[in-house]
Amino acid sequence: MKIQHEAKTLTLNQITELNAVNCGAFRDEARAALKEGITLLDIDLSQTRQVDSSGLGALIALHKTMLARGGAVRILYPNPMVQQIMELTRLHRVFEIVKAN
Amino acid sequence: MNMILICPSDASGVPALARKCPLVLTPFLGRTVLEYALTALAEGGAKNVRILASDRAEQIRRVVGRGEAWGMTIELVPVSDETDLAPDAASAAGPILTLDHLAQLPQQPLWLSYRGWYGAQQALMPVLARQRVGMREVMPNAFAGLRSQMAPDARMIGPCWIGSDVFIGSRVVIGPGTVIEDGSYVDEGAEVVGSIVGPRTYVGAFTEVRDSFAWGKDLLHLGTGSMTEVNDRLLLGEVREKRNLARSLVNVFRGKRAQEVSVQRGPKLVGLSPAAVGFKPMPGD
Repeated sequence: MKIQHEAKTLTLNQITELNAVNCGAFRDEARAALKEGITLLDIDLSQTRQVDSSGLGALIALHKTMLARGGAVRILYPNPMVQQIMELTRLHRVFEIVKAN
Repeated sequence: MNMILICPSDASGVPALARKCPLVLTPFLGRTVLEYALTALAEGGAKNVRILASDRAEQIRRVVGRGEAWGMTIELVPVSDETDLAPDAASAAGPILTLDHLAQLPQQPLWLSYRGWYGAQQALMPVLARQRVGMREVMPNAFAGLRSQMAPDARMIGPCWIGSDVFIGSRVVIGPGTVIEDGSYVDEGAEVVGSIVGPRTYVGAFTEVRDSFAWGKDLLHLGTGSMTEVNDRLLLGEVREKRNLARSLVNVFRGKRAQEVSVQRGPKLVGLSPAAVGFKPMPGD
């Protein structure tokens, strides 16, 4: 996973999978990178090929963390498969999702 | 009367449908397209049917056998291409039919698009429901099959079809345009709208299936054609057979409880009987 910090935005990208194996590390690394003043967490799922309920749990945990800080989480460019999982679990109603053009 | 029935193998318009089985064996309102076609042929007086199949002919053979179920003689001829009529087949007298539509809906091609396949099921739902043994209209345009159970606080909004041996959990919403095929289990709080849930499929608690075809762990969006394999049995998967004695005992206990709840709290669908006491398919171990 690659982490980029720009102004008040933290961007996580190059996430190839988000499942029971790596969700804990993903969540902990993201939280550790959330410095003071960051109000927007962008999670780029364009390269993500596999998501399961544990991975979705990590996204929700980060969502709650950001809400507690007065910030927000955006999901960037999910591929159609990830989009389907988000819709199946109704998370498309929780997160702001930015679709690829 | 002799007939030749050609099973189409061109799935270019609906590639995801052909992943699990030949097109003519995809689920279609409790049966398969092939079974409906053979029923129509039998009713039309066909006695001998030669089926030409170029895609997974053995699977088709297991479904049709030798035609005993339809009171006719069926010969299955594997061919390399659907247009490759074997000489003996071509010489047989009688009409040749290509199974790209159903007799009840001749203007509706089945395999050109996912929407076409879905739309044919919507159009034929009331007709085929009346023909199916044990199927009842439990509310306007909402049909339910034998031994299906529904929690008292679940909702059905027609037009919709619930097959046989289906379990619908608490606070589930079965919305308009939905087909739940036989043996499926829709868990608590799930919402299924404008979709088809294939046979023996588990739909996880609090999930939402919309404009999709869910069969086992495969999830197909009917609009975009996007297909994904959901590798999480909490969300979507196959309803499996019970594997061991302990699990069987737990399920029998749960099945009894389910019946007791239905009896005590009233609303149930149809066909609940002592024979159904043990029925409650679980999503595996």
